[in-house]
Amino acid sequence: MKPYTYENNQQHFKRALKFIPTGIYGHLGPTEGCYIPISAYPFFCDKAKGSYFWDVDGNRFIDYMCAYGPNVLGYNDEDVDAAAMKQLELGNCVSTPSTIMIDFAELLVDTVEMADWAFFAKNGTDVTGFALMVAKAATGRKKTILVKGGYHGVAPWTQKLGYAGIVEEDVTNNLYVDFNNYEQVENLVKEHPDEIACFMATPYHHPVFEDSQLPEKDYWNKIRKLCTDHGIVLAIDDVRCGFRLDHKGSDHYFGFKADLMCFCKALGNGYNFSALCGIDALRDAAASIMYTGSYWMSAMPFAAGITCINKLQKLNGAKLMQNIGEKLTTGLVDIAKDNGFNLKISGISSMWYMRITNDDSLMLHQEWISECVRRGVFFTGHHNLFINCSLTDEDINLTHEIADASFKVLKTNHPELF
Amino acid sequence: MPNELTKANINLYAVLRNMEELCELDRTMYDLIQNRNLSIQFSATNGPKALLSFKSGKCHFTRGTGKNNIKLYFKSPKHFNQLIEGTANPIPLKGFTKLSFLTKDFTKLTEKLTYYLTPTDERLKDPSYLKINTILTAYTAFYALGEIGNTDAIGKLNASRIPDGIINISVLNGGPSIHIIASKGHLEIKKGLASSPRASMTFADMETTNLVLNGKIDTYTCIASEKIKMKGYIPMLDNMNKLLSQVPAFL
Repeated sequence: MKPYTYENNQQHFKRALKFIPTGIYGHLGPTEGCYIPISAYPFFCDKAKGSYFWDVDGNRFIDYMCAYGPNVLGYNDEDVDAAAMKQLELGNCVSTPSTIMIDFAELLVDTVEMADWAFFAKNGTDVTGFALMVAKAATGRKKTILVKGGYHGVAPWTQKLGYAGIVEEDVTNNLYVDFNNYEQVENLVKEHPDEIACFMATPYHHPVFEDSQLPEKDYWNKIRKLCTDHGIVLAIDDVRCGFRLDHKGSDHYFGFKADLMCFCKALGNGYNFSALCGIDALRDAAASIMYTGSYWMSAMPFAAGITCINKLQKLNGAKLMQNIGEKLTTGLVDIAKDNGFNLKISGISSMWYMRITNDDSLMLHQEWISECVRRGVFFTGHHNLFINCSLTDEDINLTHEIADASFKVLKTNHPELF
Repeated sequence: MPNELTKANINLYAVLRNMEELCELDRTMYDLIQNRNLSIQFSATNGPKALLSFKSGKCHFTRGTGKNNIKLYFKSPKHFNQLIEGTANPIPLKGFTKLSFLTKDFTKLTEKLTYYLTPTDERLKDPSYLKINTILTAYTAFYALGEIGNTDAIGKLNASRIPDGIINISVLNGGPSIHIIASKGHLEIKKGLASSPRASMTFADMETTNLVLNGKIDTYTCIASEKIKMKGYIPMLDNMNKLLSQVPAFL
């Protein structure tokens, strides 16, 4: 396997830097810490199909980032695209919404177990922010309990004091707990009587640079009861996990019922929209808030979303992706072991996190991942990875082959370890 | 508004500390201290304390107090900052017979230090100036980030988010290197590289480092083009860089 090179990527990136701050901003950018060494990674895509994308140098990658989640059925799914194109011909962003928005809301309420209503926006940050406003409007309270290391988007309240652009007032009403630590939540509720509007968390903890943590037995049921007893809105950020754990909602997967659920990534297989689902008791609060955006009701994504959700249900997509993920990660662990490395997998197999545990600096892990990328398997170093439904056994086998070759490079580079 | 304590710590522990390198790197200053054998104690009430010793043709900087010939007292961190800004004088408590060193030789040293820490495009055309400016600016910036992390309110928040371990920072091709020991939110800066860092940041050369430190090139361009390489436990570097971005507010 001849490692890839990225001449065209580099040229485009130099051009991008002239006109776009940081060239590629945010988590997709090469300077965000998940691409190490930078030279191992492609920066720009030329085309995508199914489980693959091709970069501007013509290199093909099996993509386990799935556009950081949205690719759930496979890139350019023909059924989803056909539905979207059909709607585009009828009309997309118009002065009044299309009734297809209602069709999608009905489908979502019928699909997601906890949902009595749905509200649409464009990305995860929109709906986590709206969820907080709904909780505050409903309770008349101002504080939110969040989990340390949790990610709920990039609005100022989701960030930390000391980060660029953040002032004290942005985060002053945030209270932080460790995931799976019920006592900390209970103590905060006692310390701030009638002040806490919302507890917001992901259904399982999946921070960057750390192993994922599944909820301990009874954790969510205890949190649910505490929130109910104290009039606190329980909001679950299912932006990342949504439809990869259970199409009925990740709260349903873990056996509890949330008051608000935030969805985005996998909702429309790449067509851009997000949704907040809520219970009846919060309907009036949601209705009372002025919250919208220039093209939040555009019709094309709803058409894509209807086909996407229906197809996921037909495929039993969440289960399918967990099975594919299990096959992939079990193989990776075995291959690592055969080469003398310990690869730890955490999280749910459709959205797993992995790291080589042989050192605590993650340098070996970064080296292995970069060798995989150079050979056509697109992992990033320290973010959770994603499965999509179009991955085949052939893809898994090729991934295992490349992983093995990459471990062998690592062995050669580090004779001191053996 | 930068707080006076952090600023005073930076002025003494990051800026004036550069006397060590200045006396090695600049021939005139090297010659100036050849026959000097004395120590100056700087002490600010509720502020930084350090000893600057000149002995056997070398300058040595030590945090804290020690045996001295001249003792300069400052009523507060602010008073020390005013000295650095040229708007106040120290209170000499000891070494009255050696005060001529302060008014003559030491003034020459501080003027030369200022010269090297205030680059202009013209000055940077001289390769030897560029080298010394890069080394002194790098030491200033990295020692300063430690002070910010240990005493500034926002800095302490960012320092507390740096996971425990060692960060190596180096400039290849003749540049300086330091390592930062992070332990429970406290930072200690030391010269040279540690053998088992948990994260590292490597600048490709002096020119790149100079452009970055003097704000003349986009850091992201350098990272993307691997003129700056990062590896290891990136949250350490991510939070360290937030401290580094606070440095200009104090200088």
